Amino acid sequence: MNENIYIPKLAKIIKIKEEVSGSRSIKTFRTQFVEKNGFSHQCGQSAMLSVLGKGESMISISSSPLEKDFLQFSILKMGRVTSALHETEVGEIIGIRGPYGNNFPIENWKGKNLIFIGGGIGLAPIWSVLQTALKKKDDYGKLTLIYGARTSKDLVFKEELEKLNKKMKVHLSVDVEEKDWKEYVGFVPQNVTDKKPSPDNSISITCGPPIMIKFVIKALEELGFKDEQIYTTVENKMKCGIGKCGRCNIGKHYVCKDGPVYSWAKLKTLPQEY
Amino acid sequence: MEKILTKKSFPAWVKKLQSYTVYAPEKQENLWSYEVIQNPDKLNLEHLNTVQAPKKITFPQREVFLQFNTSKEGKPQIKEVLPKEQPTVIFGVRPCDAKAITLTDKVFGEEPKDPYYWSRRNQTTLVGLTCNTPPSDNCFCLSVGGSPHAKEGLDILMTDMDDKYHLDSLSKKGEKLIKAAENLFKPVSPKEKKELEKIHRESEKKIKREVKDIKNIPDKLKNMFNSPFWDEEAMSCIRCGICTYLCPTCYCFDITDELTSTLPLNGKRVRTWDTCQFPDFTMHSSGHNPRPDKASRLRQRILHKFQYHVENYQDYLCTGCGRCISLCPMGIDIIEILNKVRDHE
Repeated sequence: MNENIYIPKLAKIIKIKEEVSGSRSIKTFRTQFVEKNGFSHQCGQSAMLSVLGKGESMISISSSPLEKDFLQFSILKMGRVTSALHETEVGEIIGIRGPYGNNFPIENWKGKNLIFIGGGIGLAPIWSVLQTALKKKDDYGKLTLIYGARTSKDLVFKEELEKLNKKMKVHLSVDVEEKDWKEYVGFVPQNVTDKKPSPDNSISITCGPPIMIKFVIKALEELGFKDEQIYTTVENKMKCGIGKCGRCNIGKHYVCKDGPVYSWAKLKTLPQEY
Repeated sequence: MEKILTKKSFPAWVKKLQSYTVYAPEKQENLWSYEVIQNPDKLNLEHLNTVQAPKKITFPQREVFLQFNTSKEGKPQIKEVLPKEQPTVIFGVRPCDAKAITLTDKVFGEEPKDPYYWSRRNQTTLVGLTCNTPPSDNCFCLSVGGSPHAKEGLDILMTDMDDKYHLDSLSKKGEKLIKAAENLFKPVSPKEKKELEKIHRESEKKIKREVKDIKNIPDKLKNMFNSPFWDEEAMSCIRCGICTYLCPTCYCFDITDELTSTLPLNGKRVRTWDTCQFPDFTMHSSGHNPRPDKASRLRQRILHKFQYHVENYQDYLCTGCGRCISLCPMGIDIIEILNKVRDHE
């Protein structure tokens, strides 16, 4: 019998950064495997994180595969496991198994303009592609980020976003008006319509709450993007990560193994149940 | 390899299987249940369908995946817990339940393989029993490609022939079982062979219920995803989950942690059966639920069995045992649903 797929590998938390505080708290964790039994991943893949005694939660890997020293996860405090993760400290040991799922076909995107569209914590799953594209900037055309959250406090990677401004076009937004906010006010799909990214030789990559994804896709279609130019990453409740436990399906697809990355051309052929 | 065994010699054969844990149906009050047989003289293969399929032996309702504990310094340790290697034989398996095990074999056998499932499954020998008369009023195995004397998944098929059994050994595991007491078995005479064929022929005629034009169902379902049909059909559902827990083919599961002590932190990670009929099955921690109501969950049960599984594995995820019909407290009837799907405009 091969390696037992359900046994997590131990990993040490080497860095924790608070991205967003308050009731919708978000923290970014960097981890290193305790033994030399880790894994390498591809852009868009996820891993099952364990807090022993609490359980497991599927989290997208937000670091680039080009980053070999650690794995990074940005996690919104929401349920039992993510709340337990938020209580951990640097040096603590968690369990990780994976990587799971398919990946963004970034090799096919060489020479194309990439438009990243994120909402809230939805920036995390596309951050690995964005970082990879930045590290190999010559391979791609123009890079653009359209990103928004409920309020300016809810934006993740604030420090990185400031630096990003010098390397690529960044359009930020908040849902409702607030003092001193100089950028766009409104929902992310409205900001997409407002900024009018060109579909010519472009690929758009979007992730956020399900309702945001639906309207971003609509906005992109109105701008002339073809189904094959729109990519998204889907999230569902997961337990096994290998297409056996039965809960994350969209039609015949199991998001944990056949997803989470879908082109709109593919996703629209499945039942709209996600 | 075909053999004859007198009913009188049956206990003597089972007694020769000391190295195995032997399961067989046992009548407990009014319900039949697969239990470990301590006294082979009390074996009785005149059972109707057991309430729970023998799935509960190859895929138990709860099993431990791993143990975790923490050292004095607070370092966690994880220990894999695989099931004990124990050869097991299950007698009296109905052909529909054996076929069901072959379906879970495919799911848990697909890479990456499930090590817990296979450590049990590889040790299990399935001895089936032809349904001379249907063990349930709601049997419909013929509609889903099975039969009361189907061999798929079985290591031996036994057929009751009044004062004796006919045995058809179908695998090496089956032969090993017969070799344990070879002198008890006799060759099959041409007369007995004819008699057997007659029993098998007639067993098929006794199945009363049928899903019509089942081959068209998967395509039909594809176009019914957004139909109000599902709201109507799910109206009477009380969300008890019986239909899935007692289904021999349902395999969905949950993985959770159980604590045995908090300081130091010790516990187990366990797998338990789960069901698509509960809201929590798909509910995100945010509260968002892709299948928020009874209608979408009934639709999932039917579509998983008759569309998605067919698309992924080219087989129905249903073997026609009829348990979900007989045991539903509200009388939801999968045959009726499928026949309505067939007639749906």
